[in-house]
Amino acid sequence: MRIEGRTALLLLTPALGLMAVLYVVPLAVYLVNGLHAFRDGRIVPVWTLETTRRFFADPFSYRVIWASLRLSFIVTALTLGIGYPLAYALHTRVARPGARVVTGLLLFSPLVVSVVVRTYGWLILLADRGLVNTLLRQAGLIQAPLGLLFNLTGVVVSLTHILLPFAVFPIYSVLSRLDWTLAEAARDLGADWQQVFVRITLPQSMPGVVAASLICFTLSLSAFVTPQLLGGGRVQVLPLDVYNSTVEINWPEGAVAATVLLVLSLAAVWTLGRALRLVSAA
Amino acid sequence: MAEARPLIAEARGAGAARTALLRAFLWIGVGFTLLPLAIVIVYSFSSVAYGVFPPPGFSLRWYANLWAQAAFRGAFLRSLTVGVVATAAALAAGLLCALALVRSAFRGREMLRAFLLSPIVMPKIVLGVGWFIFFARLNMQGGLVPLILAHTIIVLPFVVTILAANLVGLDPSLEEAAQDLGASPAVTLWRVVLPQIRGGLLVSGLLAFIVSFDQVESSIFLVRGENNTLPIEMFLYMEKWQDPTIAALSTLLIAFAGALVAIVALAARGTDVRRLLPR
Repeated sequence: MRIEGRTALLLLTPALGLMAVLYVVPLAVYLVNGLHAFRDGRIVPVWTLETTRRFFADPFSYRVIWASLRLSFIVTALTLGIGYPLAYALHTRVARPGARVVTGLLLFSPLVVSVVVRTYGWLILLADRGLVNTLLRQAGLIQAPLGLLFNLTGVVVSLTHILLPFAVFPIYSVLSRLDWTLAEAARDLGADWQQVFVRITLPQSMPGVVAASLICFTLSLSAFVTPQLLGGGRVQVLPLDVYNSTVEINWPEGAVAATVLLVLSLAAVWTLGRALRLVSAA
Repeated sequence: MAEARPLIAEARGAGAARTALLRAFLWIGVGFTLLPLAIVIVYSFSSVAYGVFPPPGFSLRWYANLWAQAAFRGAFLRSLTVGVVATAAALAAGLLCALALVRSAFRGREMLRAFLLSPIVMPKIVLGVGWFIFFARLNMQGGLVPLILAHTIIVLPFVVTILAANLVGLDPSLEEAAQDLGASPAVTLWRVVLPQIRGGLLVSGLLAFIVSFDQVESSIFLVRGENNTLPIEMFLYMEKWQDPTIAALSTLLIAFAGALVAIVALAARGTDVRRLLPR
């Protein structure tokens, strides 16, 4: 059934109404605080760029921005590096459809469990007397426990685990729609498997890789629970900065940090969205 | 079950060593994925409060301790209520919206779709502070209403994407036939369209509920103790203590999630879930 203009508008009204009142307005009401001042522990509702200027004059701000970007780059690289071979092995090396479904479900299963629970799991695993350190010590590889918690290492490991399904899923979905006759033809013409992979399979699966990067990068950029619980104050990223400013009732400074976070997220979405169109067209 | 297909070993000429290596990597990957959940279950039965592997003994004391904490029970019921109501609201608004997106053509439709999906990439902490200030201005603090409204926005894009993908695959001639036979648009929607997108409704509903059940930073400024949701109650507890009470609770939540997925999978039997993937 085709839907005509006026009916379409009527159908869109509930969703658009909710989005306007509960999404656009709250964001706007918050972010304009960045144009207000914060003096003597109080918000001064004058229009000024002083908060913005102070934010960008403070070296700490650049450290936070850099920490956020670095964490996102590391986690995205790791999820792709682990997720691609997993998706590839799942599609090309598991013959029985039932086994493929079960393995796929196992790989996606953490998604239904809260991030808090998954982060807690890593808190136990990476503790000084936890499984990882105990095994390494028993294997004689280390004498003293490695400090895996309350620093970047713990956050990276846990976040990589949390985001891994978001990398496996889009890559697997692209691989399962690929036309493998091309690879077969290359094979018949004498290409070895490295050549087939680098020149045919990998380029063909790039849409999945880019889609996976987009999800993993933006989600690590805005990750909050993991850096807060496992970072031990040493992983100062933008979402924590926004949180801490809000707790200190310094909404103006929080709003500037929030705007920076928002701009970085949108820049990542825009860049990778363009890349996705490029590799999909190729 | 479908036939097993031959392996795609870079399309024929499989190296047995490469296949073995890739399969081993797959097993390690599955192990890495399940390890944090498995260790939580093991620790929930530990006899001591401190984290040490292997636990020196086993007990049920953390389950007893969990049972004694009424705060977690209340938080669970609140999260359940918020999740169910927000999911229902998002399904209703999302279904109408997806119908309009799929079945009518208008200028700016793709921009509208991008706008509707944008909460997915929006940093949740930014939305969370936004809602905090917004609801404070309206004097709507505490209680479940602000949480329900906020979660509706967070889960709406998931519902719209999945339902739109599901609607695209429908055969319009069925609806035309119903209308030719005198069915009104509302009856056509209820008796012809809805039964065909049962899978989409179930899967998007499940996803929406799970996403709502997992909100921390979007909701942390909307709670004030008396109305803490479960993930926030856990988060705040973990900032202070790290004894296996949380492991016991996590174990119950893993079982809860498993049961939920099993129920929805059973209810969605016979629907083509593969069609729900957005292209």
